[in-house]
Amino acid sequence: MPISKSDHYAVLGVLRDATQEEIKRAYFEAAQKLHPDKNVAPGETELFLEIQQAYEVLSSPQRRSQYDATLPPDLGMNTLVKHQVFFSRPNLVKLNEPQLVYVLVEISQRDETEKIPTPPLNICLVLDRSTSMQGEKLDMVKAAAIQFIRSLRPQDIFSVVAFSDRPEVIVPASLQMDRAKQESRIQMMKPFGATEIFQGLEAGVKEVRHGLDPSRVNHIILLTDGHTYGDEQASLELAEQVAQQNIGITGMGIGNEWNDIFLDAIASRTGSSSSYISSPKDIQNLLVKKFKALANTFADEVILEFKQQDGVQMNYAFRLQPEGGPLTVEPQMRLGPILQDAPLHFLIEFVVQPSALKNETIALLDGSLKISIAARPTPVPPIRLRLTRDVKTDAAPSPPPTKVLRALSRLTLYRMQERAHTEVEVGNYESASRHLHNLASHLLSQGEQQLAKTALLEADHIERMHNWSAGGDKAIKYHTRALLLNSVKEKEQ
Amino acid sequence: MIVCPNCKHTNMAGTMFCSECGAQLVGKDSLITQNIAPGQDEVLPQGPSVPPRSYQPGGADAWGSLHLLDTGQVLPLTGRNEFTLGRISEGQPIMPDIDLSPYQAYASGVSRLHAVVKRDGGRIIIMDLGSANGTYINGKRVVTNVEQILNHGDIVALGKLKIQVLLKS
Repeated sequence: MPISKSDHYAVLGVLRDATQEEIKRAYFEAAQKLHPDKNVAPGETELFLEIQQAYEVLSSPQRRSQYDATLPPDLGMNTLVKHQVFFSRPNLVKLNEPQLVYVLVEISQRDETEKIPTPPLNICLVLDRSTSMQGEKLDMVKAAAIQFIRSLRPQDIFSVVAFSDRPEVIVPASLQMDRAKQESRIQMMKPFGATEIFQGLEAGVKEVRHGLDPSRVNHIILLTDGHTYGDEQASLELAEQVAQQNIGITGMGIGNEWNDIFLDAIASRTGSSSSYISSPKDIQNLLVKKFKALANTFADEVILEFKQQDGVQMNYAFRLQPEGGPLTVEPQMRLGPILQDAPLHFLIEFVVQPSALKNETIALLDGSLKISIAARPTPVPPIRLRLTRDVKTDAAPSPPPTKVLRALSRLTLYRMQERAHTEVEVGNYESASRHLHNLASHLLSQGEQQLAKTALLEADHIERMHNWSAGGDKAIKYHTRALLLNSVKEKEQ
Repeated sequence: MIVCPNCKHTNMAGTMFCSECGAQLVGKDSLITQNIAPGQDEVLPQGPSVPPRSYQPGGADAWGSLHLLDTGQVLPLTGRNEFTLGRISEGQPIMPDIDLSPYQAYASGVSRLHAVVKRDGGRIIIMDLGSANGTYINGKRVVTNVEQILNHGDIVALGKLKIQVLLKS
């Protein structure tokens, strides 16, 4: 089979052993997105024709078996990507109560694959210019945006949108043509108005869609310092929509007044995450880091598609790297990108009910990983991900793998911080303070003195003032999250 | 169900870290079994407890090792003849050879430079370096800056941090 021509299964993004139903569903999904009446990017009509052709062959069992005979044998492995799975326990135990099991999945580029060029970017900076940004914040944002332009490569598409209660396109999406003009336009941005994130996001999406191209990394970076009111739901819906087109949204919050939970929710719907900028001086730093990560993309999106098994519940999912952040649990989970130098690691917590343990083995999850590699013209065949465990009457004595243990020890810290948050919200200040005290003692034992101190001060503040101190909650949240990244790095050394 | 030994919170089976207080619940069973008999936590025994002779402290080239009774870690003494014990803290010019801060040294009252353990011919010696909370051998406080001979199985306390000395015969 010539390499240029991908096989019908890959075109539809289904496995060789897919059922007729799965093929049908994949076809409908793809066709809806790529139909000539609706598609936006060049080349999508051709893709649509390919999908139709593939479906014509695969939808008839007779034609399908004829076609199968012409295919080289399925090696059962993916030539571009490899994955590894670690379980917290070698088997489950027959119990009359619910039990937990943790699974760590690592997905990385196969070392031996040919070097895939990094894809060109299609990026929009969406900048908050509300009155609260006045002064150092806006100056730093401008400087960072200009720095960002200068680091772009000739093949990258770039745009800038400024927003307050209405949006303004500062730099329309284009390959950089007149850099000096764009820079002066950014310099001239003046602060005014209130923060309405949906306005900015919508205009940013419009710009990115101008340059939308499946062979690029399409991304929006949203920089804000304030709360948005009333348009949260619309923003989330928009994020879900653009995620379908593989557009990612990164949220960056400056200072103490923005809504981290909301930004996280937007970002995680697109497989991305949010970050916290405590001082305006760090804006540039963070943008440079983000640019490097985007320019270093190997796969721009990994999607976990799965069916929930009876009696098994995915309770919690968290990405450890490349960017730490909670994952939204849904039948199609966006796990985020794989970078050339940073594989994708994520951890799942399953709750298993006794009713699920009737047989000798139990399937925790049955699904597949769909990987989109922007720089590669042909689709990558999905990877089957089946997580099964034996069910035994006795607990296995063997200790959990160090990798899982280490990741969980850090994730526990993050979740304690989350619990303190929920307790403050419901007015349980004593309990919130206790959680922070516990967190502090664990941080101390892991050598994180500075952060432990912050947690203790915060506990004290909550007891006295019945609320978080300005910025204290975000500092603890994003720093414990950063610890998770460190835990991954430590173990690779 | 797993009841957390630290805060008595009941967790689901399979939990690895207590969801209430964050204490580690699994993965250190092997370490717990190394702890010596109960009762020794409160009052130090008269005679040293006798560790199994078959135990090889810290590999082939170590001349001894330190067994931290509270956490179960074993730190080998190898590569040189003298080790200072203490904890590293910020802005401290002199570093101890063995940093005990990962083992709750601060909470146990270990000084930054607490004591020194050295090998002198066939003898193993410990000397308190003027610590704030003192050094004890089998419950008896030693005099600062005076060398004391250690025997296999002795329990040394730096402040409240208890360490069993395992020597290679």
